[in-house]
Amino acid sequence: MKKAKIVLSLLLIIAAVALVGYTLSSQGDLHDLVMRLDPQNLAAADSRMQKARDRVLDGLPEGDRTKDLRNLDRYLEGYGPQLELDGENGLELFVYRNGPSLLAAGIALAVIGAALLITQLKALAKYRKPAVYLALAALLYAGVYIVENIAGASSMLMTVLKKGAIYALIAVSMNLLNGFTGLFSLGQAGFMLVGAYTYAIFTIASDSRIQVYQYYDGGLVQFALPTLVAIVLAGLVAAFFAYLIGLPVLRLKSDYLAIATLGFAEIIRAIFQYDGLGPITNGSNLLRKFTTFDTALFPFAVAGACIALIVLLIHSTYGRSFKAIRDDEVAAEAMGINLFRHKQMSFVISSFFAGVGGALLAMYQTTVQASAFKASMTYEILLIVVIGGMGSITGSILASFLFVASSEWWLRFLDNELVIGGVQIPLLRSGFRMVVFSVVIMVMVLFYRRGIMGDKEFNFSSLFKPRVKKGGGVRG
Amino acid sequence: MQFGGVVAVDNLSLHVEQGEIVALIGPNGAGKTTAFNCITGVYKPTNGQVYYQDQLIVSNHPQGKMKALYAGQNKDAYKQVLEPTPDRITKLGLARTFQNIRLFKTQTAFENVLIATHLHRTSNLLTATLRLNHAEEKRMRQHALDMLEVVGLADLKDELATSLPYGMQRRLEIARALATKPRLLLLDEPAAGMNPQETDDLGRFIVDIKQRFDLTVFLIEHHMDLVMDISDRIYVIDFGRLIATGRPDEVQDNPDVITAYLGVDEE
Repeated sequence: MKKAKIVLSLLLIIAAVALVGYTLSSQGDLHDLVMRLDPQNLAAADSRMQKARDRVLDGLPEGDRTKDLRNLDRYLEGYGPQLELDGENGLELFVYRNGPSLLAAGIALAVIGAALLITQLKALAKYRKPAVYLALAALLYAGVYIVENIAGASSMLMTVLKKGAIYALIAVSMNLLNGFTGLFSLGQAGFMLVGAYTYAIFTIASDSRIQVYQYYDGGLVQFALPTLVAIVLAGLVAAFFAYLIGLPVLRLKSDYLAIATLGFAEIIRAIFQYDGLGPITNGSNLLRKFTTFDTALFPFAVAGACIALIVLLIHSTYGRSFKAIRDDEVAAEAMGINLFRHKQMSFVISSFFAGVGGALLAMYQTTVQASAFKASMTYEILLIVVIGGMGSITGSILASFLFVASSEWWLRFLDNELVIGGVQIPLLRSGFRMVVFSVVIMVMVLFYRRGIMGDKEFNFSSLFKPRVKKGGGVRG
Repeated sequence: MQFGGVVAVDNLSLHVEQGEIVALIGPNGAGKTTAFNCITGVYKPTNGQVYYQDQLIVSNHPQGKMKALYAGQNKDAYKQVLEPTPDRITKLGLARTFQNIRLFKTQTAFENVLIATHLHRTSNLLTATLRLNHAEEKRMRQHALDMLEVVGLADLKDELATSLPYGMQRRLEIARALATKPRLLLLDEPAAGMNPQETDDLGRFIVDIKQRFDLTVFLIEHHMDLVMDISDRIYVIDFGRLIATGRPDEVQDNPDVITAYLGVDEE
């Protein structure tokens, strides 16, 4: 059994290396391949065909992959039937076309194989857990990359995945506060706003500032920070706001805390729209022309790293004391946990990640305006947290993808009028989507009162571990 | 200690020597738990002090204008005295259990005890999150396991705390209190709801842990057999006032105590 697994993992690694090697080796010789596609040299007789082929061949030295692929597509579309596209040529063409995806798949396979090997070797038992998580991460990122390559970066699927990843981070940060520390706070939109603005303000390219801040003479800030630095700064500024707000507010309990944080979020929004701060925040005008991302890997990488940090925190001794506060404040305090300090800690950390999420959201939307960060945004996040399950990280992640997918994509058709056989289907009109969506959510909350996951975690590692685990491993 | 017009504990003076087992008894509503809550900082006494190892840990808690005046006079002691929050007092080495069991409901027995090791942490947020405190984490887990072993719950460590039988939940609370490494253990009706057999076991258990961890024990209890068995000294209170004190046999024969418990004979 064990031997078989070791052999399997070695085979995986070998297969992965072979895949990577083959893909890499077949990336260079497209020139050759294109010539081979046309063994009888039909192009010599057909000047338009010759032109199309030459366009492919001439483009190759430039090394612009998208352009090469476009030229190739045009050539194949026009003259495909006359070319030799079967057998080896077809395979080579497929490999060329999907080169990056295959590379990603190969690397992911290699990592998974290595992880499997590590889990089977006794000497490396210490690294078993990190190996499993590394394999999962490799699978996830390779998957996202391949899907993006196949579906296209601007497809609906990718839009949903990008926004879903960002919402997942924000929902998890809210869950840290509401689900794990038991603090019912509704200030998330405010901290997202702070993060989004901080990020936007510090990454607008210097030469576009005069355009963006047209009413404020180019604004006060006249430099741009690197993207990652600006993202961290966005989190820090949001955390700083949270620290100040937390000083008075965290002495309140349950509903009062919710109302106070909601109020502060609205105040923050009002302040950012204030005309007097225009040179920094651009008043109530849009902020635009800041650095954004064009691949979904970026939000996945940032959100993934942040969620990983939150998970690590929750399973540390601090996370345990957060949960203790949630379960019973009096007992937690009697166990030597300083309530205020730990609540403040949780509040500040949650806001830090909400700020990072806000920065990502700004990048996703490519423009920022304070008026978008209304309380309804907090409710959206709260909804995700409740549907996913208070106190379940995987629940929040799952729910945010489902939420974004159904609100942006799956229920879209309900907004369009539909005529079948000359009969207009009743009810289908703009806005009906939200009615159905609300009903779905109501039904969900009625039947899954504690959310999809309750406070349990979806457990991947049981898929990898052959042995029966000792009890208690499933709980988060 | 005064709640509005009700004086719950009045002019009560208790003294516990190191290494003693001292019991506080009295009829229902006598103010026993209130006294406990004053000592552990849950309530702030309107007037009164608590000393622990000759150090003032809880003092009268002036309100409003009095507070500013007080702060001006005792700058050094201000924070310590005015905010005797339970966590500070637990850190000083006073751990308690609760009359109505207060376990962390969604967590296992082991996790319940593990939380109590948090206060002796040396790691900060960053090192704990990035798992740079490996050795400490291991120590914490081992300590929690040891404490579960002490109360005999090691086999049930992965059970949900609230799914344990009543008697075991009481023991789990004691394990949790022990995990804070206390010098003085305050037990609030540890035998409540137990049958005579369990009560007997508990008595032996308290004496056992007291010797094992070099503790001082101060307990509230209604089971007279238990109190008479294990206590070195007993305080009896009624309506917030001390009515008797002394060794178990002295207290047992005190007419005031009998009156308090059985009511005044009208004849």
